[in-house]
Formats: sequence, C-alpha cells, structure tokens
Amino acid sequence: MGAVSACGLGVDALWQGAVNGKSGVRPVDFPDLPQQRVGTAAALTAEDLEQLLAESGHRMRDPVASYAVHAAREAIAQSGLESDDIDDRCGVVIGSGFGGAKTLDDNYLAFGKDGSMRLDPMSVPKIMNNASASWVSMEFGAKGPIYCPSTACSSGSQGVGLAYQLIKGGAMERCIAGGSEACLVNGVFRVWELLRVMTADKNRPFSKDRNGMILGEGAGVLVLETLESAEARGATILCEIAGFGTNSDAGDLLRPDPERATKCMQLALEDAGLQSSDIGYVNAHGTGTVANDVTETGALREVFGADLEGVEISSTKPVHGHSLGAAGAIELIVAAKALMEQTAPPTINFNEIDPKIGLDPVANTARAIDTGAVMSNSLAFGGVNASVILKRFDG
Amino acid sequence: MGTEKSDLSQELLELVAREGMVDISDITPQSRLEDLDIQSADFVMILMALEEEYGVYISVDNELTDVETVQDLLDLAQDKIEEHRKDETA
Repeated sequence: MGAVSACGLGVDALWQGAVNGKSGVRPVDFPDLPQQRVGTAAALTAEDLEQLLAESGHRMRDPVASYAVHAAREAIAQSGLESDDIDDRCGVVIGSGFGGAKTLDDNYLAFGKDGSMRLDPMSVPKIMNNASASWVSMEFGAKGPIYCPSTACSSGSQGVGLAYQLIKGGAMERCIAGGSEACLVNGVFRVWELLRVMTADKNRPFSKDRNGMILGEGAGVLVLETLESAEARGATILCEIAGFGTNSDAGDLLRPDPERATKCMQLALEDAGLQSSDIGYVNAHGTGTVANDVTETGALREVFGADLEGVEISSTKPVHGHSLGAAGAIELIVAAKALMEQTAPPTINFNEIDPKIGLDPVANTARAIDTGAVMSNSLAFGGVNASVILKRFDG
Repeated sequence: MGTEKSDLSQELLELVAREGMVDISDITPQSRLEDLDIQSADFVMILMALEEEYGVYISVDNELTDVETVQDLLDLAQDKIEEHRKDETA
C-alpha cells in the first residue's frame, strides 16, 4: 500500500495521523481568491509538495499524477513486486475526480485574467483524468488493462473494487489500483465554497454541531493480486479484499439515498460471504454534512441492526480531509491498517451525539477492536455508492 | 436601529424573491419555502447572493436544517450579517 496525504508521505504517516487523531488540516491561502470564505483544507505540506514535484521530473505531469506515482512506488516497494512481475498481466486502475486541476486552473487564470494565449501546450495530456493511471503504467511498465473511474468521491473505492473484479474475472493477475486527487487550487476551492458544503469551522462528522466538510488531497494506491500469484512469489499478504459492492441511486445528483447505500453495503457483504456481525469496524464516508451523516447512519442501522452493537464506526476525514477521487483509496488503506493493527481510528473533533441520528462513533480516541473484517464506504455525488470489505489473512 | 433592521428585512426579502425566482407579492414571512418551491439549488443561489452583498458565508448544513419558513431564513441571515459586521468592526 502507498499513500500521499496531508498527514505526510507514506502509509505510516497517514496511519499515525488517523490513529492518533493528528489532523493534517491547515490554513490554506489561494492567491487568486481575494475573499476566501473557508480558510482551511487538508493540504500537503509545502515541503512534501516540493519533494513530489521535484521527483516528478517531467513537464507533462500535473501534481495529480505525481501524487499517484509516488503512492504507487511505495505500494510496489512494499508489495515486493519486481520489475519482471509488472508486465502485461499487471493492470492499472487509478481513479480521479478532477484530474489535472492545477493545469486547468493555471490556464484559466492565464487566459481569463491576463488574456494570455501562451497557455501550457501540454495541457491536454496533463488535464485528462486518466493521466495518473497512464503515468503509473509507464513508470512501472504495467501493460495490462488500464482504467480510470471518475465517479467523484467514489473514484478511489471503485478503482480498487473494479481492479478486484477484473482480477477475479481473470482479466489480469495483479493490479496497481487506487485514486489520486490534487484539487486544492483557486477555482476548484471556490466552486466548493459556492456549493456551500464546506465548513468554515472544524470538520465534525456525526457530531450534533457538524457544519460541513473539509477538502483534502492526496493519493492512495494498493497492489492487488490473486492469492496464487502472491503465494507463488512469496509475497507478504497484508489482507484479503473479500467483497465489493457498488450501485447507483438513480435519484438525485447531490442528495444521497439511504436505501441505495444500504443495498450497496449488503451487496458487499453478500460478495464477501459475510454477515454484518462479522464486520468489526466501518470507516464511514462520514463527510460531516447533514445530508451524508443522516443518510449513512440510517443505512448503517439497516445493515447492522438498530443499535449498531458490536461494530465500531468512525470517519477519519477530519484528519486527512475529503480528498474526493482519492478518498476511497486513502480510507481503504486506513481501514486495512485498522484491521492489521486491530485498532479503530477515531472521529476527531467530535463533541456531542446528534439526537437526530443517535450515532455514537469512535469519538476522539482510538479503540481496540477484535475482528476479522472491516468495511470502507464511499457515497458520491451523482448517486455513486461503493463499499469494500477487507478480511484478515491468516494464511 | 429598528428602522435599520426592517430595511435589512425588506432587502433580504427582495433578495430571496429575486434569487429564488419567486414573485415578491407571493412571499410572506410565514410562507414555507417548500410551498414557494424554493429548492436546494435555489438555496445555493440565495446564499451566494448573501455572500456577495453582505459578506457572510452560510453552509448548506446544520445551520439550515431547521429553516422552514421565509422568516427562519431571514432570521438566520440577519444573525449572520450582524455577526459579520461585529467581526469587521472588532
């Protein structure tokens, strides 16, 4: 597994942030927004950003691709895959919501504000949503099938889920899969402000005083492969992707549907051959907006029973932010670490149970768990739901 | 002060009508937004205009969950505007 997030470079930095409740949310200042209404985001530190851009080494790369390549490099190194293992049996599925947002933003500003016709001639290949997946394939020589789900906040979960299905269906033996997003630029930030789902305060999922989400950025990448291929090369197996469910609301573009979110989690459980009582931890989509928190809690009650007894639930978004197309992959990595470490990371900034939803999440401090399986949810704009279930691998 | 407040109420009412695309003569403070067919997309337009004209940021979230009538919305906007003005003079 590999990660780039506001918590730092690497899975360890992400996990340490999540489990210790050390937030990567920091002040952000967009030079072309004269009046910023929201002042914080889970942005990469200036040092990390500088390092990633310095190592990208190519004029045709937007930061979004550099994040993906960095996370993929960590994931591949950790998986022990050799270059001979990465060939036409190895696919790449890396999702992204916004693609090359910085390149697009720079161009709009140059064109619209300065009236310049001297735009970046490499804009097309930098902006296209599949550039991250393509750069990962080129960097490591993965010549199998390549896909790029662009399904807003479910892009990363669908990236991993689709890879799992493709491997299961025999289309590839292994896959470099996940999501990447580098959306913290003037224009994108402003349109999120205008949608008014961001809080000007702290992000407090499931808390009575929640008032919106906090944007983030980064990448999460996992190496997936068949059990046979992992065992044949003597790989260290972190855990098993046991089930994947995805469906759509076919209802409203923005407002989520609890019945469809319920069905999505049930699909994942059926695919995994597990009961809800087998799941010990859920990393919720938990954006900290009323629309999400009410919907997701209602769906969780349907799936896990009215009292939600026996399952620990948290949202780690106040730590790494809502990183849109990378969110599902980053949060799945957090869920995998929770399973491996048998520890549920907390929902920080939580103040008070909201009587309207009555959910008591893992609040502010991590909790020990004793479980063989965990779930990660993504509920995206466009009515795109995705749930992934991970199972402990005991050999 | 009383006049100032009622001027602001009138301005806000006009703003809600304009951005919500509703005839102002159809609006009373007691009107339910739902009955005026003011939906989430209209809310976002109203809140954008509030930001442009009064510099206040209101998220479509907790603050809006209890807003049912035009008066609820005016009260919330007035509170936010007063809060903002206090911050500016502080």
